[in-house]
Amino acid sequence: MMKKIVLIAVLSFTSAFAQVEEPVEVPFIPYEIKMGKGFDAIQANCLMCHSFGYIINQGRQSKDFWNKKVLKMVIHFKAPISKEDVEITTDYLFEHYGNGELK
Amino acid sequence: MQRRDFLKASLAASAVALGTSASAGVTGQPIDSRKVSKIAFPEKRPLITYSDRPPLLETPRDSFTKAITPNDEFFVRWHMPEIPTHIDPETYTIKINGLVNQELSISLNELKKDFEQVEVTAVLQCGGNSRSAYKPIAGGIQWGSGAMGCAKWKGVRLSDILNRAGLKKGAHWIGFNGSETAAYYETPNFVREMRIDELDDHVIVAYEMNGEDLPYLNGYPVRLVIPGHYSDSWVKMLSNITVTAEYESLFFMDVAYRVPDNDCECETPDNKFKATKPITTMNVKSVIGYPTNDTVVYHNSHVVVRGVAFDDGHGIKDVVISVDGGKTWKTAILDKDAGRYAFRAFRFAFKPTKYGKVSIMAKAINRLGAEQPFAQDIKWNHGGYKYNGIDVVTMEVV
Repeated sequence: MMKKIVLIAVLSFTSAFAQVEEPVEVPFIPYEIKMGKGFDAIQANCLMCHSFGYIINQGRQSKDFWNKKVLKMVIHFKAPISKEDVEITTDYLFEHYGNGELK
Repeated sequence: MQRRDFLKASLAASAVALGTSASAGVTGQPIDSRKVSKIAFPEKRPLITYSDRPPLLETPRDSFTKAITPNDEFFVRWHMPEIPTHIDPETYTIKINGLVNQELSISLNELKKDFEQVEVTAVLQCGGNSRSAYKPIAGGIQWGSGAMGCAKWKGVRLSDILNRAGLKKGAHWIGFNGSETAAYYETPNFVREMRIDELDDHVIVAYEMNGEDLPYLNGYPVRLVIPGHYSDSWVKMLSNITVTAEYESLFFMDVAYRVPDNDCECETPDNKFKATKPITTMNVKSVIGYPTNDTVVYHNSHVVVRGVAFDDGHGIKDVVISVDGGKTWKTAILDKDAGRYAFRAFRFAFKPTKYGKVSIMAKAINRLGAEQPFAQDIKWNHGGYKYNGIDVVTMEVV
């Protein structure tokens, strides 16, 4: 009987705490991304907010799609990407993750 | 080349031969070949991993034999790169402000002690679940069928919290803000707004998922639960509830998670429909958990097909199965009903009589009579939202 009471006491005590007491750690995943012209601009402008995984898992897309994605980052998410880099990153994305269609 | 890819390739080839434009795509089955990662995220077993920052994890198909998705298999979708990795449950508070008589700051202990505690079993599904079925490829993460799950959520009615704060005259909108943050100060926060009249007593502020704390990646310590609705408004790590008179223009409301505002909710890439509307409530859907596209069984094996079906809360009336390409359908057995917002597990026993590839189709029908269309009859939308095609798995009989 005593054992049971102790057990219940312990259970109700621990339930006041979080399941995880230490800070959690989100792992880093080394997504394989293609190297090539414009990669520096990708590294400088995109990685601040999201992983390469977020890029390569969009699927193969048109040049227009990639251009609009980059512009969305500038217009809606306020990423400080220069006009020049918008062009460089769009060209890179279309070259390596494009579907061959301009539109 | 796998047979499915070959079929896809030959479809594409015939489209070219007929001279049809690439814009007239044919919706297929979502991609189903992805394997779970070797890397496990906190409180999760290894899942299909699209991104680590923000974390985007998909539940593998074989989990959907169960009416409740275990917490460590439950999908994960965040929008912002910075998510809190440590939260002190003793000091965490949810603030209620705006057009209220009394501003509140509710601690987790108060939430658990000072309000009526309620539970609801409900499906959480990303509006872009199964997006990879759309052709041409719709923008966004190319989810397979596993950006969904069903859990028993425990918490407090949102209406009870709002009643305690007291709504002022003219209160029409509620904004919900989570604790995730962007890399740049100027980036809009992930705030969702809902009309007060959209929120019924089923909406809860949940702190428990399947009898445990919410996992961090599913929104610890509290998240909004809006049964029947797609997950875009189920704000995680809920920190602030603001009542307003007017709708506030926000990126995550005005641009993201919207479909064409026409009857078919469809458009073509060349001719996008200008007016859009939020994705809101879920359509009827089913997913087969077993067999999978990897399953190999011996001839004459007794196979029990298992899966889950759900809709926006009208409830599932029937799930029917076809093993002859949709020519004839037989009714599956429905497991017990865990409430109208829950996964309804189904099972169907059959004995394959031929060798080779055998395709199994599942179609759910809800209590309104709405049923899943064939994948190829689903029309395209730019965001690849709301796919609910008849599910197909192809196993091999040897």
